[in-house]
Amino acid sequence: MKKLMAIALTAAMSLGLLAGCGSSSSTASEAPASSAASSAVSETPASSAVSSAAEEAAASSTADAAESDLEYVKANGKLVVGITDFAPMDYKDESGNWIGFDADMAKAFAESLGVEVEFVEIDWDNKILELDGKTIDCVWNGMTLTDEVKSAMNCTGAYLNNAQIVVVPADKADQYQTEESLAELNFAVEAGSAGEAVATEKGLNATPVKAQADALMEVAAGTSDAAIIDSLMAAAMVGEGTGYETLTYTIGLSTEEYGVGFRKGSDLTDALNDFFKSAYADGSMQTIAETYGVQAALVEQQ
Amino acid sequence: MEQMPIVVNALNVGFLQTLKLFFVTLLGAFPLGLIIAFGSMSKFKPLSCLVKIIVWIVRGTPLMIQLLIIYYFPGLVLHNPIWGGGEAGRFAAASVAFIFNYSCYFSEIYRGGIQGVPVGQQEAGLVLGMTKSQIFFKVTLLQMIKRIVPPMSNEIITLVKDTSLARIIALQEIIWAGQAFMKGSNGISGQIWPLFFTAVYYLVFNGLLTVLLGKLEDKLNYFR
Repeated sequence: MKKLMAIALTAAMSLGLLAGCGSSSSTASEAPASSAASSAVSETPASSAVSSAAEEAAASSTADAAESDLEYVKANGKLVVGITDFAPMDYKDESGNWIGFDADMAKAFAESLGVEVEFVEIDWDNKILELDGKTIDCVWNGMTLTDEVKSAMNCTGAYLNNAQIVVVPADKADQYQTEESLAELNFAVEAGSAGEAVATEKGLNATPVKAQADALMEVAAGTSDAAIIDSLMAAAMVGEGTGYETLTYTIGLSTEEYGVGFRKGSDLTDALNDFFKSAYADGSMQTIAETYGVQAALVEQQ
Repeated sequence: MEQMPIVVNALNVGFLQTLKLFFVTLLGAFPLGLIIAFGSMSKFKPLSCLVKIIVWIVRGTPLMIQLLIIYYFPGLVLHNPIWGGGEAGRFAAASVAFIFNYSCYFSEIYRGGIQGVPVGQQEAGLVLGMTKSQIFFKVTLLQMIKRIVPPMSNEIITLVKDTSLARIIALQEIIWAGQAFMKGSNGISGQIWPLFFTAVYYLVFNGLLTVLLGKLEDKLNYFR
């Protein structure tokens, strides 16, 4: 009985607390509503949410700049590129500088705008948060143009072809050369990736994991029978001379294209499309592609 | 095993970031926790009520969500990305989140320590004509410190491991550095062991902390 009383008292007290000083929690409760509206970047900030006058001035000036992302980037003097460590698109050389097909193209694009380039490693799951939160200006990291990506970002045209392929232990590879043979396997796929979409579409048994690398680890550790990952990544990471010598890749399940994502309504998308066209026309894009061995996958820009 | 030096180098860089976050959090949360503790014990009801609600919110929501809110909301909601995208901004945002979170936990430990000192001693101080601040600094404080060492040690050791949550906003601490080798980093790709090897770093550092905190407890044992 005493216990029951205590519980009831505690409940009543916490309710009383809520009613008594409820005003303090108002900022927290209005947050979800405004985050839902945040996809429209050009929206002017609610001035009530900003406390000091200085902050307000800073907020409104960035809101003005958001009308033209190009102007915003130029005013900042740098293009902040969101990437992950993903050979051969974006990775570090021995001295710790970012190189790769995407990294070199991003450097050239920033140069054409007359701004510096800054590469920032992000958590891939949070790429839309990073973009809308303006902590990065674009996602340029071998990003597959899926419907989800295209609805959340303003994307350029395709610049590289890719495929989703099956990775299995090398000693079992000859059993799994047809799509029919895959039905009994348990797949590991990256959550939210194009590989997961393919697995769902084909009705395969798939366990979502955090990253494509985790999917490979699942296969290497035997906790999954096979994985579905990007062909460009598989070529770099699976087979002899790589970290996964016991694995190999077999058939392709779907083809897809890579693009670069900007904020919704951004005018940088057109600027980059134009840049791709001129870089393809003068052959500099092909040269960079050859450096990283992806020239065969290059999409013609016209 | 020729990969060992490369991996250890990368993990060292990551662990340095972990340690930086750890010490900055302690430095900020020790004093802020005491202020919050006073706030929650205040006789002025609206203040203590407000502080208690803040502590409830901070302790009642996951630190991971707090990190996401503190780092992304300025840009998402206020359209003013105060932290910027660089490493320094991510570290600053993580520090703010950790200091705020941990000071709320610390405040409750302080409160327990202060209220654990018998009321009779404060009354005795009043009788002797001491002011409130004299009573706190000359009578209560040292006894409080002695009382809070064991629960504080617990929180401090938890903090060492909690710093790994900061990877959600892409702060490149040691778990991030270890995980990077699974995908490819510093020319090594597809290696699983560096991720598990990070546990050794935590274990050694926490062993060191345990010894130091044990020594501190012994030192404070001269009065009861």
